[in-house]
Amino acid sequence: MIAESRGPLLSRRRVLLAAASAPLAVACTTPPPAPLPPDPLADLAVQARADAALATAAGLEEVAAARTEHAKLIQAEVDRARPSGPSSSASAPPGTSAAPPPSSGTPEQVVEALQAAQKAGTELLATVPPHRAGLLGSVVAGCASLVEVMS
Amino acid sequence: MNRSAMGQPSSAIAPSGGKPTGDAVQAVQDALAAEHAAVWTYGLVTAFVEQGPRTAEGAAAHRARRDATERLLRDASAEPVPPAPAYLPPAPVTDATSAIAAMVAVEIDACVAWRGVLERTEDADLRRTALDALTGCAVRATRWRKTAGLLPAGLAMPGTAVG
Repeated sequence: MIAESRGPLLSRRRVLLAAASAPLAVACTTPPPAPLPPDPLADLAVQARADAALATAAGLEEVAAARTEHAKLIQAEVDRARPSGPSSSASAPPGTSAAPPPSSGTPEQVVEALQAAQKAGTELLATVPPHRAGLLGSVVAGCASLVEVMS
Repeated sequence: MNRSAMGQPSSAIAPSGGKPTGDAVQAVQDALAAEHAAVWTYGLVTAFVEQGPRTAEGAAAHRARRDATERLLRDASAEPVPPAPAYLPPAPVTDATSAIAAMVAVEIDACVAWRGVLERTEDADLRRTALDALTGCAVRATRWRKTAGLLPAGLAMPGTAVG
């Protein structure tokens, strides 16, 4: 009786062990996960910082302050969504971060930049979760407000 | 339908669709309540502000938005909230300055309400409608702040307590 009951017990243990270690084996052999696709909001933060620099160069302090505020809020959301990612200033997507701060800017360029930001935010609006839709809406409307300030 | 015909041409082509469900229904009702308040306030200030295209445009935009929002709610089988008999401006309206302050206040309130819609819906059409409304209110608030010489004239983050 004892021998008979031990047999199946051992084999069950072995089965359990095998079942438990299988995922481990998979975890040890699979390559590290591919990097997540870039957060679509990261570009908007880069754009907002660039606009702030342009507005500063053009002597438009109110626009510079508002776009700096936009950059801060958007970047905070990007960092919140992906806290393990590299830090904001270092992680700007390639091709968007290399531009040095402009040494000069005109009000016309600032208006164009604000209109481009409105368009970019509007295009993203349909694809984001609701809390981001609120953030984007305020940023887009804020850019429209800044254009009105300059009109 | 007759009331919406009074809106200016630009509001006729403005996005005014979408289907609120769940939490979004109450958010749209709140936005409608803000539009009722705006329509009422633009009516109140006519005695104190020189009648120009700006007041007329703002009044027409809010009427058109109110009508479109009522339709949107009915299409979602919700009974639109009725207007209150009167609204209390943040300060008594006695002259042009306080009249402009009252218009800035209702525009900012409407910004908050429309952002609330954005935060409660996944419906792309309703989001476009809410964004269009939020943007319009933010631009008019800015215009009135400029008229009054307030600085900064712009709203950095319309629809939030900050801006």
